[in-house]
Amino acid sequence: MVEQSVATTDLKKGSADLLILSLLEHRARHGYELSKLIESRSEGAMRFNVASLYPLLYRLEKRGFIQGRWVEKAGQRRRRFYRLTAEGKAALGARRRSFAAFVDAVRRIVEAEHA
Amino acid sequence: MPDWKAEVRDRLGDIGASPVRAEEIVEEMGDHLEDRYRERLAGGASEAEARRAVLEELEGPLLRDELRRAVPSAPPLPPVLGAPSAGRWMTGLWGDLRFGLRSLGKSPGLVAIALVTLALGIGTNAAIFSVVNAALLRPLPFAEPDRLVTFWGSAPEMGLPEFVYPDALYVYYRTRSRVLEDVSAYSTFTMTLTGAGEPERLSGAFVTADFFRLLGRMPREGRAFLPQEEAKDRNQVTVLSHGLWQRRFGGDPGIVGRSLTLDGSPFIVVGVMPPGFDFPNRSALWIPLGTDPQSLDCWCHPTLGRLRPGRSPEDARLEIARLSDDFWREREGKPVQDPDSPEAATAIVIAQPLARNLVGEVKTPLLVLLGAVGTVLLIACGNIANLLLARAAARGREIALRCCLGASPWRIVRQLLAESLILALAGAAVGLALAFWTVRALGGLAVERLNYLHEVSLDPTVLLFTLGITLLTVVLFGVAPALRGARVDLQEAVKDGARGTRGGRSRRLSDAFVVGQLALSLVLLVGAGLLLRSFRNLLEVDLGFRPENVLVGRVALPIEAFERKPAQAQVFFTQLEERVGALPGVLAVGLSSTAPFSDGGNGQVFMVKGREPAPGQPNLVAQIRIVSAGYFAAVGTPLVRGRLVDETDTVTAPLVALVDETLARRFWSDGNAVGQEIRLGDAASKNPWLTIVGVVRSVKHGRVTEDPERYVYVPSSQRSTPVMDVVARTRSDPAALTAAMRQEVRALDPTVPLYGVHTLEGAVARSLGTLRLTNHLLLAFAVTALLLAAVGIYGVMALGVSQRVNEFGIRLALGAAPRNVLRLVLGQGMRLVLLGTILGVAGAAGLTRFLGSLLFEVPPVDPLTFVAVVLVLAAVAFGACYLPARRATTTDPLVALRYE
Repeated sequence: MVEQSVATTDLKKGSADLLILSLLEHRARHGYELSKLIESRSEGAMRFNVASLYPLLYRLEKRGFIQGRWVEKAGQRRRRFYRLTAEGKAALGARRRSFAAFVDAVRRIVEAEHA
Repeated sequence: MPDWKAEVRDRLGDIGASPVRAEEIVEEMGDHLEDRYRERLAGGASEAEARRAVLEELEGPLLRDELRRAVPSAPPLPPVLGAPSAGRWMTGLWGDLRFGLRSLGKSPGLVAIALVTLALGIGTNAAIFSVVNAALLRPLPFAEPDRLVTFWGSAPEMGLPEFVYPDALYVYYRTRSRVLEDVSAYSTFTMTLTGAGEPERLSGAFVTADFFRLLGRMPREGRAFLPQEEAKDRNQVTVLSHGLWQRRFGGDPGIVGRSLTLDGSPFIVVGVMPPGFDFPNRSALWIPLGTDPQSLDCWCHPTLGRLRPGRSPEDARLEIARLSDDFWREREGKPVQDPDSPEAATAIVIAQPLARNLVGEVKTPLLVLLGAVGTVLLIACGNIANLLLARAAARGREIALRCCLGASPWRIVRQLLAESLILALAGAAVGLALAFWTVRALGGLAVERLNYLHEVSLDPTVLLFTLGITLLTVVLFGVAPALRGARVDLQEAVKDGARGTRGGRSRRLSDAFVVGQLALSLVLLVGAGLLLRSFRNLLEVDLGFRPENVLVGRVALPIEAFERKPAQAQVFFTQLEERVGALPGVLAVGLSSTAPFSDGGNGQVFMVKGREPAPGQPNLVAQIRIVSAGYFAAVGTPLVRGRLVDETDTVTAPLVALVDETLARRFWSDGNAVGQEIRLGDAASKNPWLTIVGVVRSVKHGRVTEDPERYVYVPSSQRSTPVMDVVARTRSDPAALTAAMRQEVRALDPTVPLYGVHTLEGAVARSLGTLRLTNHLLLAFAVTALLLAAVGIYGVMALGVSQRVNEFGIRLALGAAPRNVLRLVLGQGMRLVLLGTILGVAGAAGLTRFLGSLLFEVPPVDPLTFVAVVLVLAAVAFGACYLPARRATTTDPLVALRYE
C-alpha cells in the first residue's frame, strides 16, 4: 500500500497539469466539478483536495493555459469557471504526447523484463 | 453551516494579492469546502465528522506559499489623485470639500431637503439658546455678581411667607455682619416728574448711600450719594438713569446740579448712571433712602449684600438669622447669643444669589424649551442620516472604484464626512439667519416678562454654541452613513448592473433611526399635551372677579398735599369716580387702593374680636384694600353674604369693613362673619374696631395659581389714601376708554397723571404669559418633531418598497391579493411604530416629571394625555406607512420583473 500511495503522489504531481487541462478540453468547468470528476473517473484512486487543486488552477491560469471567469446562473451562487485557452490547448497536446511517450517507454521496459 | 470563508481567510492570511483577487480566492475555496461539507452530510456523516473531514482539505503547510507563487501579486498602489502626502492634510481636506461640493451639486433635491431640515433644527436651537443665555447664563452687569446675595425673612405662622426688613434691622445687619462686607437696602417708588414738559410718572428706587458701590457700578457723570444724605432731611438729591437723561433732558451735559420737581418737591441732580443700569425694577432715577436706625415702622426694604471672598449665601443666611434673634434679644434686654453656639436661630431667613432671584420662574420653562429644540434637532438629524445612508448605498459603485484605485477606508470616510460638513455649515448659516429674526420676536417678549434681563441677541456665546451643535449634527448624521459607505462590498459593487441596494445592516440602521425619531417625537408630544391640559385648567380657575371689558388706571396724588389735607383726596376721588362713571360706554366704575393683578399691595396685622391671639402666639396678616362703593360691581367680585359698602357708610357712620371668604372661613366654620368685629394692627394698637357687614368671594391677586390670601376691605368714604386704582367696566373694548379717562383726571388736576393703564384681561393674560409662550412653542416643536418623524418613516418605507419591487411583482404575479402585500408592508412599518411607541412612552414617563413645576392640576404621568398622544402618533405614522404600502400593491408584475 505504501509503495502504491507514494507512486500515486509522484504520478499525481507529474500528471496534475495534464489531468486538469484534459478535463477542460471540451467544456469549461469549475473547481468543485473538476475535483469530483477526477475522483469519480479515477474511481477514488485520485483525489485533489482544496489545498492542492486551487494552487494548481491558479498556476495554470498565471501561465495563460486556462482562463477563469465568474459566472452567475439563475438561482445559484456564482462560480468561477475555467476554460482552456489556445496556449492551453497547445500545452495539452504537448503534455499528452510526452505522457504517452513516457508511458510507452515504461511499458517497454517493464514488459521487456517479463518477456 | 460553518463559515468556510472565514476558515480559508484564517489559513491564507496575506498572500500578496490585490484585495479584490484575495477575496475571490477566499470565496472560491470557501464555496468548494461548503459543497464538500454538504456532500459529507448527505453521505450520512455527522456535522462534526463532516467538518473535520472538510477541514483536512485545507491542510497544506505550503498552501500560502504556493498561492503566493501561483497568484499574481498586487501592483503597488497608484497614488489617488489629489491624495495628500504626509503633512499636507489641509490640501487633502480642501480637495475633499471641493469634491464634496461637486458631488452634492448633483443631488439638488437632497441638498434642498437637508438644508431646510438643518436650518430649522439649528436655527431654532440658536434662537432658544440665545434667550437662555441672556436669562440664565450671562452674568449680571455688576462687579463680581456671584458675590451678590439678596435676603429676606419668613414667618409662616403669621401668614407671611416672605417679608422684608425695616430700617432698624438692616442697619443692625450692616454694622454687625462679618460674612457680608456691605449691606444695602432699597425700596421702589413711583413719583410724578413735573416742570419739564408733560407730567410723567416715573419708576425709581430709594437706595442707601452704598448701593452703587455695593453693585460695583458708579455714576458716569457727577457722583453717587453720600452717607450723610441718608438723613431724612438731607435726601433731596437724585441720580438719574442714562435713559431718562437722554429722553427727558436731551443728554444735557450740564444736568448735574440742575433741580427737578418730583411729586411737588425739588430735588438736585447729583449724578447720572452709565447706560444699561436700571436696577431695581427698571428704575429711571434713584433717591437716597432716608434711614432712621431706630425705626421699625416700614417693613418694606429689600436688602442686598456683598459676600466677603470665600463666603456663601448659606453663611449669610445663618448669620442674618442669628443677628435677627440678637436684635430682638437686645431690645428685650437679654444677652445676645454666642456667635459660635451650635444652637439654631429661631428667625427664618432666606438668602439667594442675586442672579437667581432676578431670573425667577423662567429657568424651568427655558430649560424645557431647550430640551425640546434639542430633540427636534436630533430627529432632523435622523432624517438626514437616512437620506445620506440611502445616498451612500447608491454610490457604492463609485466608492468601490475609489477603493480599487487605492483609497483607504479612512480616506473614503473623510470624503463623506466632508460632504456632511458642507451640508451642516450651509444649514447652520441659513439657520442663523432664521435665528436672527426669531430672536427679535422672542427677545422682545422675554424681556417684557422678566424684570431684569439683558437684551437678547446672537452674541459670541450663542455663535459658539451654534458652531458646536453644527459639528455635533455632522457627527450625528454623517458618521454612520460614512462608515457604512466605506465598508462597501467590493465585488458586488463593481459588477455591471449593480443596483446599489442596501444590505441588511444598512436597513437595520435606518430602522433604528426611525424608531428613535418616533420615540423622541412621542416624548415631545406628551410634554406639549400635558402643558396644554394644564393651561386649560389654569384658564378655568375662578379668579374671584370678571376680567373681561375692564380698564384699570392708577392715580397718585402728591403725598405732601395729601398729608396736609386728606379730605381733599376723598373729594378728588369721589368726583373722579362720578366723572368716569358718566362717560359713554361705562357700565360700572369703582376705586380700589390696589386692583387685582396690579402692582403693589398692603399687608397688615389684624385681630378678630374674641379671637385675639394669646401672648407669644403669632399675629395674623391680611391684605387691606380701600375701596369705593362701586368697586365690587365694577370688578365683578360677587357678594357671598351680608351687604356691600354703600352711601350709608359715611365718615360719621359706624366704621365697617368687608372680608373675603378665606378670612371668614378661617375664623368661622360656616363662613358667616357678618356682625363680627375686626381691627387693624396688633394687640397694642389703638385703632377702632370695624364691624363686618359683608363677605365677598376670594380673589386672586397676582397669580392664577396662588393660594388665596385673607382680604379686608375698608370703605374709601371712611378712610382715605393718596393712591387709587380706577376700575371701569365697559360695554365693549375697554382700551378705547383710555384717552377719555385720562382727560377726566387732567380736568380735575393737570399736575396729576393717570398712569399704568391696562385692561384687567390683559394683566391676567400677561401673568400667564410665560406659560402660554412656553405652551405654544412646545406645541410647535412637538408638531414639527411629529412631521419630521412621519417624513422619516415615509422615506424609509418608500425606499424599502422601491427596492422590493421585484418581490412584490412576483408575489402579485403568483396570485397574492393586493391586500396581502399591503398588510405585509404595513405590518413591517407598524412594527417600527410599535417599537417607537413603547420606547417613547417609557421615555416620556421618565422625563415628564421635570415638567412638574409647570403643570397645574395635571399629574406628570397623566393616562389621558398619554393615550391621546399615542393615538395621534399611531394615526400619523399609519398614514405615512400607508402611502408606500399602497404603491406596493399597485406594482405591475410585468414591469416589476423587468425592473433591474
